[in-house]
Amino acid sequence: MIYLDHGATSFPKPAAVARAMAWALGRCANPGRGGYAPSMAAARLVYRCREQASRLFSCLPEQVVFTPGCTQGLNMAIRTLVKPGMTVAISGFEHNAVTRPLHALNARVRVCGRRLFDWEDTLAEFQRALEQGAQAAVYTCASNVFGYILPVRELARLCGRWGVPFILDAAQSAGSIPLDFADLGADFAAIPGHKGLLGPQGVGLLLCKTLPEPLVYGGTGSESENQEMPPYLPDRGEAGTMNVPGIAGLSAGLETVNRLGVEAIGAKERALCRECGEALEDLGCRVFLGPHQGGTLSFLPKGDCEELTSALADRGIALRSGLHCSPLAHKSAGTLESGTVRVSFGYNSGREQLGGFLRALENSQKI
Amino acid sequence: MRSYFVTFRSITFAQRGQSLLALNNIDAALLRTPKWMQERGCGYCLKMKQEQAWPAVQILQENKVNFNKVYVQRENGEPQEVKL
Repeated sequence: MIYLDHGATSFPKPAAVARAMAWALGRCANPGRGGYAPSMAAARLVYRCREQASRLFSCLPEQVVFTPGCTQGLNMAIRTLVKPGMTVAISGFEHNAVTRPLHALNARVRVCGRRLFDWEDTLAEFQRALEQGAQAAVYTCASNVFGYILPVRELARLCGRWGVPFILDAAQSAGSIPLDFADLGADFAAIPGHKGLLGPQGVGLLLCKTLPEPLVYGGTGSESENQEMPPYLPDRGEAGTMNVPGIAGLSAGLETVNRLGVEAIGAKERALCRECGEALEDLGCRVFLGPHQGGTLSFLPKGDCEELTSALADRGIALRSGLHCSPLAHKSAGTLESGTVRVSFGYNSGREQLGGFLRALENSQKI
Repeated sequence: MRSYFVTFRSITFAQRGQSLLALNNIDAALLRTPKWMQERGCGYCLKMKQEQAWPAVQILQENKVNFNKVYVQRENGEPQEVKL
């Protein structure tokens, strides 16, 4: 199989991930719930992963809250900072993981910056939203549909200047675009474990500068006589038994990311993406390419998107078509009706796979 | 030799403390806090030698690792809170 759907999840995982998960299943009990060996082994494993993440993202270990995934982290962050009726600035490229929680809260959503790959537009529109009273901002670091890398440092600085809280959705960037959380100054950054960090599904991270409002209430293994959730990190955001096998896998994934290097992974993905885009244009496709683009691109083939990905799937090529849970991004780019075909590269992608995909596409379009 | 115990509200703080102390060549064992030291139920502590207690507390304070209290277990087994 040629797998080019890393925007959905990294696949296959490094072999060490499954090994670490199996080890945890055999050796680890519930962390923070006892002083006996298997509980302490679990606690050591969880803390190790916290430290790895804190080093990768430049924050303190206790600022790393484990979540079941990026969506859960975004929900926690949004529910902490956004109250019903508040005006919230978002980009024109946000995922439903951002827009649906805002909709559920009856927030007044101000979409600013709809032009693809255009930092000037993104920043100018955001500045205007701040001047007109935006009270919070939620921005993706990179569009899951088009790979557009937004100017998040500049956006965060503007937020700092205006005293507006900032939430970063790092779903598509963590592991391939460096993130310095302390320097960024965001209140929260939500990160999936199973994409660029190469861990298993079912585990994610929420980096917290601000104390979050819990989404889930329950046992934390601390302050058991207190009926309030603990008022400190990370316990406040981690009610219930943790996903220890998932965290073990994430730890192994982080080790691989560290070994390969975030910059190197990102550079390889961007180079493949550029080469792919130019080849697709040569094949007569409409390709969304531009500056500030990561390892993901979208294109419109000569025929129907769904039919093409279905035909390619029969030839062992894994791609995603449709709206990618981001109707707003498609609306911004004018592809809401057609959807697009997305190609997303990952840590293990190479030119051989790119060549195989392009040959299969050429054959499919001939039919 | 009397043992000193630094108690923490959260296992994560205790682990961060242990990690920082190890970097400073202070060996501290991570333990479940004994019942007689608990204030709000459930917690972890770092157990260390008497001569390491004062430098350990300084390191924890300098690095803003929140801890609750410091106890000493006297030779007769009785606990006593200490102010370092």
